[in-house]
Amino acid sequence: MDFQLTEDQETIRKTVAGLLRDFDDQYWMRKDRDHAFPEEFYAAVAGGGWLGLTIPEEYGGHGLGITEATLLLEEVARSGGGMNAASAIHLNIFGMHPVVVHGSEDLKRRTLPRVATGDLQVCFGVTEPGAGLDTTRITTFARREGDHYVIDGRKVWISKAVESEKILLLTRTTRVGEVARRTDGMTLFLTDLDRAHVDIRPIAKMGRNAVTSNEVFIDALRVPVADRVGEEGEGFRYLLDGLNPERMLIAAEALGLGRVALERAVKYGNEREVFGRPIGMNQGLQFPLADSLARLDAAELVLRKATWLYDNGRPCGREANTAKYLCADAGFDAADRALQTHGGMGYAEEYAVARYFREARLLKIAPISQEMVLNYLGSHTLGLPRSY
Amino acid sequence: MEAEEFRLVREALRAFAADHRCDAAEVGQAERTTAQKALDGLGLGELRRSTPPLASAQECALLAEEYGRQPLATSFLGTVLLAPEVLRLLAAAGRHAPYGSRPTVALTRDLRFTGRDSEADHVAWDAEGAESALWIGDDGTVRALDLGGPAPTTDLLRVVREAHPGTPDSVLGRLDPEQLHAWRAWALVMVSSELVGAAASFVEQSTAYARDRSQYGRPIGSFQAVQHLLADATVAVEACASATRYAAWCLDHADPDTALAAARVAKAEVDVSAVEAVYAGMQVFGGIAQTWEHMAHLYLRRVRVGATVLTGTVDLLTALALPEPGPQVVEAP
Repeated sequence: MDFQLTEDQETIRKTVAGLLRDFDDQYWMRKDRDHAFPEEFYAAVAGGGWLGLTIPEEYGGHGLGITEATLLLEEVARSGGGMNAASAIHLNIFGMHPVVVHGSEDLKRRTLPRVATGDLQVCFGVTEPGAGLDTTRITTFARREGDHYVIDGRKVWISKAVESEKILLLTRTTRVGEVARRTDGMTLFLTDLDRAHVDIRPIAKMGRNAVTSNEVFIDALRVPVADRVGEEGEGFRYLLDGLNPERMLIAAEALGLGRVALERAVKYGNEREVFGRPIGMNQGLQFPLADSLARLDAAELVLRKATWLYDNGRPCGREANTAKYLCADAGFDAADRALQTHGGMGYAEEYAVARYFREARLLKIAPISQEMVLNYLGSHTLGLPRSY
Repeated sequence: MEAEEFRLVREALRAFAADHRCDAAEVGQAERTTAQKALDGLGLGELRRSTPPLASAQECALLAEEYGRQPLATSFLGTVLLAPEVLRLLAAAGRHAPYGSRPTVALTRDLRFTGRDSEADHVAWDAEGAESALWIGDDGTVRALDLGGPAPTTDLLRVVREAHPGTPDSVLGRLDPEQLHAWRAWALVMVSSELVGAAASFVEQSTAYARDRSQYGRPIGSFQAVQHLLADATVAVEACASATRYAAWCLDHADPDTALAAARVAKAEVDVSAVEAVYAGMQVFGGIAQTWEHMAHLYLRRVRVGATVLTGTVDLLTALALPEPGPQVVEAP
């Protein structure tokens, strides 16, 4: 076993941390308050050449693995930018994976280099009001017309749709009643969000307000066949490839958020004096923070194991799910305790921990709920009967 | 019962418990017999013999709570509170002749309410001084079972014996559905009350220990982590005490279905909170509570086994999740 990060990986951490030092609490508080996309942050990360981290070198990226991608996003979240920062670049970092693996050469040439430079922003269109995590129930439909498809339907919780030029869109091309397996008959596109045929409405929400989450109404959107990713009817399987890395990335973001929350709590615990001594001297505050440190460290180890397995081509479903589960819990607990440590000030936006708290809560729901992780572990890992 | 009269009864029970509390897990039969005689001598069997009874359900629940505070090897729940209440309910409805034997209750092998098959594997629970065990079917049928040899049990102070079907004419009578519900609610409340008493007493003892025991030159109770643990345990005890006392009030004042629902809530709360409170107390006692000689394991055994006696939490919650029986809708002719 080797617990040492490589020199390159250490460099990623340090460089990213250095790059983001200028984006302070005030910056993120303002962006969150104003519901404004963090353009300057996005430009800085793009300018540093980080967006193409996992995109193959022949398409302008660095061709690095999920281990490096998780280190990057962990550091981004930990910089204090939290989920506002991570979500602004999340899709660029690994979201193009189905296109990299299954897209045509033409599609890759047209899109990947622009994603790597940050010039092209893409959102991910899978979930629907009537489907949620039960993806096979989606009804957004792509009807073939000559060398085009015409798409109608509705998506929900589409992050960054307002800011995006393109959408990686999952549709049905055969209705669920007409396929042998429910996972058949779905097709993936990477296409323009043509505002003449797509209505995007941001959802008012609890946190992570610098990046929108949207309802997307698609009405007779014409999509060239050239924008199809891989084969017709295979879209669901293409997405499956990306599920484990997605869980690892979210785990890394939760971990980074937990780390920064804990750092802030420790700082405040050392500085703030009540009853003539630093509040961090109270076991009632010190122990929960020490507990969070232990839980974050343990969660991090599972995450590192998961990314190592993935990068080495080994099965990693159990570890990816476990990492997401533990990091989300540890991250949220750390944020909750940081807020408690700050007392009344924790409720004030000025101290940032309220923002971390709101954002950390999201990760117990997205991209899959903690309960669905347990479903996976219960049925796939333990071999118990599937309960849903 | 008059308040003063009840105070005297409770004090008598407290004095008995102080005299006969067990300091070790090993209790000889002579010691058990002596203690049981002393308990019987208090005449508590009279509390619920007649209808209307001398003592209310709330008073009996408080006595069960008092009884649970000390580790005792006598039978109070089975032979004084649970089985006699079955006989009282039968007599009140004129459904049985006087029964000469001293019964406790029969439970299934895993200590749950009996119900379906009287021929199945049963034990007599809390059987010190008992001569028979009452089996109660889902349809209300009450049968007397004969007692056999000792059965294994984790609660070392509580006597459990094998129980076998009696002679064919062992049917004593039949509770109507309301009475059956009332009795089950009664049993849940009395068992819960005993566990509340055990948890409350154990937390008090561990708090006293935190005051006395010194580490790093100061009482361990001065450490916040210990204080908070005990404060949480106190809240847990309060939660189960409140739920249980409300359920006891329902036995005296509400209809049997409401009382049964409240009793289920109480037992479900006790199953979790009483055990948590004892865990917390054991943590405060530290290493000493892990020794055989310390009384901690006697409390732990009582609440751990208690959490499964009559019904487990899962069954209680399942029953509570079912829709309440609503008013009958009568179709217009």
